[in-house]
Amino acid sequence: MRYRLEVNGTLRDLDVPRGTTLLEALRDDLGLVAARYGCGRGQCGACFVLADGRAVTSCLMSVEQAAAHRIVTVEGLASGGELAAIQSAFVEEDAMQCGYCTSGMLISAAALLAEQPSPTDDEIRDALAPNLCRCGVQLRAIRAVKRAAEQL
Amino acid sequence: MIAQPNESPRLEERIRLEPDGRVTVFSGKVEFGQGIRTAFAKIVAAGLGITVDRVTVVLGDTAQVPYDRGTFGSRSIAQDGEILRRAAALARRLIAEGRPLEGPIPEDVPVGPPAPDAGPRRVEAPEIVTGRARFVADARLPGMLRGAIARPPVRGARPAAVDDRAARAMAGVVAVVRDGDLIGVVAKRQAQAVAAAQALEIEWTVPPAADLDTVSIPINEDAATLAALAGAATRVAATYAMPYISNAPIGPSAAVADVRTDEATVYAGTQRPFGLRDELAAVLGLPVDAVRVIPLMPSGTYGRNSLGDVAVEAARLSKACGRPILLQWSREEEFAHGPARPACALDIEAGTDADGRFVAWRYDEHTNAHGYGGTLDPRQAAFTSGRNAVPPYVVPHLAVTLHIEPSPLRTASFRSLAAAENVFAIESVVDEIAAARGEDPLELRLRNTRDPRLRAVLEAVAERSEWRERPRGDGRGLGLACTLYAHGTYIAQVAEVTVAPNGRVRLGRFWCAIDPGRVIDPNGVRNQCEGAIVQSASWTLLEELKQRDGRVATTGWDTYPIATFRDVPSEIDIELMGAPGEPPTGVGEPPGVPVAAAIANAVFAACGARVRELPITADRVRAARR
Ligand code: FES
Ligand code: FES
Repeated sequence: MRYRLEVNGTLRDLDVPRGTTLLEALRDDLGLVAARYGCGRGQCGACFVLADGRAVTSCLMSVEQAAAHRIVTVEGLASGGELAAIQSAFVEEDAMQCGYCTSGMLISAAALLAEQPSPTDDEIRDALAPNLCRCGVQLRAIRAVKRAAEQL
Repeated sequence: MIAQPNESPRLEERIRLEPDGRVTVFSGKVEFGQGIRTAFAKIVAAGLGITVDRVTVVLGDTAQVPYDRGTFGSRSIAQDGEILRRAAALARRLIAEGRPLEGPIPEDVPVGPPAPDAGPRRVEAPEIVTGRARFVADARLPGMLRGAIARPPVRGARPAAVDDRAARAMAGVVAVVRDGDLIGVVAKRQAQAVAAAQALEIEWTVPPAADLDTVSIPINEDAATLAALAGAATRVAATYAMPYISNAPIGPSAAVADVRTDEATVYAGTQRPFGLRDELAAVLGLPVDAVRVIPLMPSGTYGRNSLGDVAVEAARLSKACGRPILLQWSREEEFAHGPARPACALDIEAGTDADGRFVAWRYDEHTNAHGYGGTLDPRQAAFTSGRNAVPPYVVPHLAVTLHIEPSPLRTASFRSLAAAENVFAIESVVDEIAAARGEDPLELRLRNTRDPRLRAVLEAVAERSEWRERPRGDGRGLGLACTLYAHGTYIAQVAEVTVAPNGRVRLGRFWCAIDPGRVIDPNGVRNQCEGAIVQSASWTLLEELKQRDGRVATTGWDTYPIATFRDVPSEIDIELMGAPGEPPTGVGEPPGVPVAAAIANAVFAACGARVRELPITADRVRAARR
């Protein structure tokens, strides 16, 4: 099946089997691997992307559904060679170990900050709760979101 | 197993000056989120007097780096960090003298002061936050296909009959592979491979459970122990238990294999690139020199990547179909077929005299093999399944026995091996004795500790947490635990919890004093401490791999909850106490070790419930409170 998606501000044409998930299409057809497979069931947040500004599980969204939204992945967060505030804040706070969950956290944080530019600790915890991290960088990620909020 | 440093390291194997003035550094260690790439870059940059951005670190590529036994036991900085420190000092001298960078690296090269904590926090960070980083599952080779494996219902089951007609007819399927007991599908797309593997109709024969014996290994013998216990003024006997848990990496295991007739290249998230190379060579029937293992970042794993399972499977599929294969396990496979951390039952009895000095201590540790590679070697058992079974206190009569029991599940090493279970039992029973004597558990520990470094971390954490002053009770409690981890890292921790009327435990603040010898990268050490504490708190409060006779019922995060942003401590306070003159002793594993006891002791302080079995669920707290 042919589909046309808007990803990171660019229209991309795809020919994939019906029912292909957005996650698989991003990673295997469009070469955008920042969204990662973690569970395929909407339970871990590793695959999060922005759909019209909201954080969604790309493992549960079909390409067909995605065609109705503007999709942004972590590859599209920086603009003009400049890291977004949330990206630099994660670097500054060293808010990662293995980094496998980082893309998903960045997406949740970006969606939160767009809604609520100066979130409280609890709002940050709630917004990032869908993002599982086994390495245990949660406290650093909270600090990073706050740092980014201060810079906005 | 204690890996030995490379016998006689040579400079040309470790540091290369590139024509453009950059420096390439080689180590057989691998990075999986613990920050060693950054630490090594900083060590060499400081030694050479150059900036970190001029240093490239090559880790684990078997075609490029010197042999290494593996990355485990928090030994990377102690082993390769020290070699690189000397290598950089030697290289600097040779460069100044205009001589080539080659020759043995002597033990006694004069080295400069330790690297300052400057430069980037993590050299990979910019790539990770922009999505440029490449994990194993992101490797893409020309002509690459996807694999999926048909899993038996239980370990050891063998395929009796396979009907692959439906699977073969499915879209995208290129091959159904049958190689001994391995049955897999190769397809053009990931979803196609997974769907076809599910469509295979396989009759499995489940062999009767092997009747294996328990192996008992004395770790410390003292025939007078029981008599001495009988005469103790205060004596506590208790049994503690922990369930099987999963490494539960956020990204399930993955590997990419490109196997040709006379050579093979495998991209893997292994902790043992050379061990994996040898294993692959044997399985593929190739000479070891024809196999190249290139480590790529896996999702963080915490021991299970000492096994080569996914890489070997990918290689077998690739060999069978003659194409490069990416094999990515599903979440369910990772829970059901990844190696688990052993379960244990810990039977302990300890006694003090009337002055609160230990007189005797008996400990019977019943667990499974915690081995690297999953096998049991009795000579290594004391270091793996028996790790930290001996208490760090002065005990005149000590009898410690390790009992390794057969496991229906595949088990393997998991961060700190058996230390986390042993220290849970040891530090819980110490707390119980203090309670039985009606005294402060800090004073009991200090009275029975001669080691000045252990005393120092205990005093430090007590001061930071205001242990002696902070009010308790009314559902709020503080718990203390400490250890001297295997290789010499000292830790003491205080957990603060609140226990709700329904028994639910919430973490408040958490304090940790750690003495890991010389600290090379303080921020990296803090990050490792925080991560280990969060992960271990998750084991303690939430985790249990559900299984019956080896059939794992856990399939996803819904049935295996781990700590989320809502569950982690409100704050983690870390005091780094390493003396610059002491050799570095490792930080990846030790900070997770005392956590379970610190939390269990805090729960007791908060509400009087002594929970001796993990996870500490609300049900268990309510039952113990009655
Ligand atoms: S992979 Fe989509 S939520 Fe886990
Ligand atoms: S940094 Fe490894 S899972 Fe979050």
